[in-house]
Amino acid sequence: MNVFSFGSYYPGSSPLHRMDPRAKLLLGCAFIIAALCARNAAALGVVAAFVAGFYLLSRIPLVNAAKSLAPLMFIVVVASLLNLFVVQGGAVLFEWGFIRISEAGVGSCLFIATRLVLMMMGMSLITMTTLTLDLTEAFERLLSPFARFGLPAHELGMIMGIALRFLPQFASELATIYHAQISRGAGMDGSPVKGLRMLSSLMIPLFTSAFRHAETLSAAMDARCYHGSAGRTRLHPLRFTVLDAAGVGALVAMTAGIVAANMLL
Amino acid sequence: MIECMEIEFTYDGEHQALAGIDLKVDAGEFVCVLGGNGSGKSTLAKHLNALLVPDKGSVVVDGNDTAEPRHVYRIRSTAGMVFQNPDDQLVASLVEDDVAFGPENLGVETAELAHRVRDALQEVGLVGFEKHETFALSGGQKQRVAIAGVLSMQPKILILDEASAMLDPRGRKGLMRVCRSLHERGMTIVMITHFMEEAAEADRVVVLDRGTVALSGPPQEVLVRTDILSDLNLEVPFACNLSLKLRDAGLDVPVRVREEQLIEALPRALASGSAAPATVAGNATNVETTASAANAANEADEPAIELRGVSFTYNPPSKRTSAKKEGSKTGKQAKWGNDPDAVWALRDIDFSVRKGEFFGIAGHTGSGKSTLIQHTNGILRPTEGRVLVEGRDVSDKKQAAGIRADVGVVFQYPENQLFADTVYNDVAFGPRNLKLSDEEVDARVRESLALVRLDFDELRDSSPFALSGGQQRRVAFAGVLAMRPSILVLDEPVAGLDPAARREFLGLVSELHQAGRTVVMISHSMDDLAACCDRVLVLNEGRMFALGTPRDVFLQARELNDIGLGIPAAQRMANSLREAGVPIPGNVLYDGETLARVLADIAGGVR
Repeated sequence: MNVFSFGSYYPGSSPLHRMDPRAKLLLGCAFIIAALCARNAAALGVVAAFVAGFYLLSRIPLVNAAKSLAPLMFIVVVASLLNLFVVQGGAVLFEWGFIRISEAGVGSCLFIATRLVLMMMGMSLITMTTLTLDLTEAFERLLSPFARFGLPAHELGMIMGIALRFLPQFASELATIYHAQISRGAGMDGSPVKGLRMLSSLMIPLFTSAFRHAETLSAAMDARCYHGSAGRTRLHPLRFTVLDAAGVGALVAMTAGIVAANMLL
Repeated sequence: MIECMEIEFTYDGEHQALAGIDLKVDAGEFVCVLGGNGSGKSTLAKHLNALLVPDKGSVVVDGNDTAEPRHVYRIRSTAGMVFQNPDDQLVASLVEDDVAFGPENLGVETAELAHRVRDALQEVGLVGFEKHETFALSGGQKQRVAIAGVLSMQPKILILDEASAMLDPRGRKGLMRVCRSLHERGMTIVMITHFMEEAAEADRVVVLDRGTVALSGPPQEVLVRTDILSDLNLEVPFACNLSLKLRDAGLDVPVRVREEQLIEALPRALASGSAAPATVAGNATNVETTASAANAANEADEPAIELRGVSFTYNPPSKRTSAKKEGSKTGKQAKWGNDPDAVWALRDIDFSVRKGEFFGIAGHTGSGKSTLIQHTNGILRPTEGRVLVEGRDVSDKKQAAGIRADVGVVFQYPENQLFADTVYNDVAFGPRNLKLSDEEVDARVRESLALVRLDFDELRDSSPFALSGGQQRRVAFAGVLAMRPSILVLDEPVAGLDPAARREFLGLVSELHQAGRTVVMISHSMDDLAACCDRVLVLNEGRMFALGTPRDVFLQARELNDIGLGIPAAQRMANSLREAGVPIPGNVLYDGETLARVLADIAGGVR
C-alpha cells in the first residue's frame, strides 16, 4: 500500500481543505509552470516561502508531507545526480577517470533537487487537502466544456471515481490470490515458464473477479436509477468562494515574486 | 404492492429460470423467499425492480407494469434492491456519497439530499459514519450502507437478494434488526435467503423450486414441511426440528418454528407428562464420558502445528527497532511499550494442534482468525514468537517449500482463485510447481478429484469457470489436496453455500479427517464447530479467548455472549429451557439428538 501513500488525504478543515477542488487543480497547474520559470536561487526562495506558507495554512504536519514524498525521492536523486555529472562549468572540484564534478554541476544539482522537492510538496498539498472523489469531480467539471466536442466528461469522471473506489479492493484481492497460489507451491523464482504460469495464476483470477464485480456493480447502479449525467444532482455541489479568489491572489503574488527575482538578480 | 402473474423467464432460450410464478405481496408485508441454489430466487428478485423483464406474464409494482420502459425509474425507486456481495454494490468511496447516489440520479435537490442521507443513515444505525471510507467498513456495515443507499430513494419496498449470505453472525443480526425495524414502520420487505432462522421471522414464506412456487404460507405452516424442504436442499429451523423430534418421541409438543415460542411452550407441555429425572442423570454422564475419552486419546499425540507466544502486526515497527530486536531479548517488552502505533492483529497466541486432530477456530470478522491461519504455512511470519510445523520453524526459509506442501491452506471462497483453462490444469498447478513427473501429476489429479467426489473423465477438460459454484469450490479444494498435505487448514469452507451443499462439504471434510489428516477449520457456525471438532479455539480481538473441547468452550455461554459470539442452537435452547425451569442437567454439551432425548426423559415419555 506504500505506493499509494503519495499525498494521501489528510483530514482537516483548513482554508486549503475548504477551497474548491477545481480551483486547486487549476492553481496546481499554474504553480508548476511558475515554479519551472524560477531561474535563480532567489526565485526559488520565493517559491519555498509560498509553499511553506501554504503548509502552515493547511496545518498538515511536515512529517506527513515528508512521508508521502519518500517513495518519489528516487526521481529527485536521479535527476539531481544527472545534473551533478553532466553540467560542467566553473572550477573543477573533483576528478577521477571520466568523472568530473564542477562548481556549476553542484549548483545545478542542488537547484534541481530543491525545485523538484518544492514542486512535489506543492502538488501533494493538493491531494492531501482534497478527497479523491472531489478531485475526480473537479476533473470531470473542468473537462465538461469539451463535452460538446464529444468528450465523455461525465463518464470519464465516473470511471475515475469507481476506479479509485475499487483500487484498495483489488489490492487486497490480489494479495489473497497471491497467498493462495504460493500456498500451492507457486513462486516467481525458477524458470521463465514457471514465472509465466505464476503470473497467469494471479492475473486471470483478478480479471475474472474484476468482471464479476463489474457485472454486479452495473446491476446495482441500474437498480439505483443511474442513467448518466442527465438530471443528476449533487450532495456536495462545487462552488467557488472567496477562498478560491484568495488562492488565485496568492499565486499571482508568487508569480510576480518569481518574475521579479528572475529579472533583478 | 407487488403482483407477479404467471411470469416465465429464460436466460439462454432453453432452460427456464422462472417457469410460471404467481406471487402477490401486500403492502407492509414481510415475505421471505427460500430455495436452493438454482431455484430462481435471484432471477425473481431482479424481476421485482425491472432489472429483468419477464418473457411471459407480467409484474406490476405499486401499480406500474415493469414491462413499460417509462416506468423504470419510478419502479426502481419504489422497490429498492440490496445485493448479495457487500464488496461490489457500493459505488462511492465515502459513505455519504454512496447513500446519496440514488437520489442524486433522481435529481433530488441538494438541501433535500443532505436530509435524506442523514435520515437513511439513522435508520440503519450508522450515524457518524458519513465520512468513513466504504472500503474500510465490515461486511455487515457495508450491507447497511447499501440499505441506506436504497432508503434514501424513499422506497416502499425493500428487496434483499441473499444480502446476509456473506456476513458473519454479528453482521447478519444487525441486518435483521434493521429489516425488522423498517418493517415495523410499514416497509414492505421481500427477503431472499437460505437461512431458516431469518425465514422464521417473516410474515410469509415462499419456497421456490426450479422456477415455480413449491410452498407458500406463514412460516408456522411452511417451515415444518420437513419432507418437501429436504428435497429442495433446504433444512428446517432448529426449533422446528426439535419439536418434531419430541413429537416422534411421543410427546405432545406444539410445533414451533421460532426458538422463543418453543421455549415458552415447552415447559407446559413437559409438565403435563410425569417426570422421571432418574434416567436423565445416567444419560447425561454418558455423553460426558465419551467426550472426555476422545479427548484423552488425543492427549498423547505429538503436535502437528505449534504456535509459541505468537504476536503479529501488519504495521511492523520502524526499521530501527526491528534491527535492535536481533540483539536484545529485553527488546520485546520495550517494543510493546515503545510502539503504541502498532496494531496487533495477533497477540500472545500460544497453542498447538495435535496430529490427527480436528481443530476448530471461532471468532468475529477481524478477530485475527485469517491472520492466524496464514501463519500455519509461513505466508505470514510472526512478528514475535515461533510457529512450528511438525517441529520445523516456518520462519526458516529452507523449510518453506516443504512446509507449504505439508500444510494445505484453503482460503475463503477458494473458487475465486481458479485460473486455468481446464479443471485438470488447475488441479495440476500445485503438483507441477513441485516439479513432479507427468505420471505423478496425473495420478495426483485423479486422486484429488476423487477425494472431492468429482468425476475425473467428465470434468478433466471442462473449463472451471463453466461449473456451478459448488463444483468450482470442489475443484479449488482438489487443487490443494493435490499437494498431498498431511494438514488441512480451511478458512470458512462452507461460506455462501446453500444448506445441502454445506452439509455435503462438511461431510467431505470429516471424511478427509477420518482418513488421517489433521484438520484446522475456521467457521462462523457454532453448530458446525460443536459437531465436527475435537477442540475449539475462540479468538477475540487478536487474543485467545477460550481453548478446549467443544464442551469446555460452549458451556461458557455467558462469556461467549459477552463478546457477541453465539453458542450452538441446541445448547442455547437447553440453557433457555433451564432458565424457564425445566430441570435439564448442566455441564453437558447438547446436540439436537441428546437434547431431545433428555427432554423426552424429563417428560417421562416413551421412546
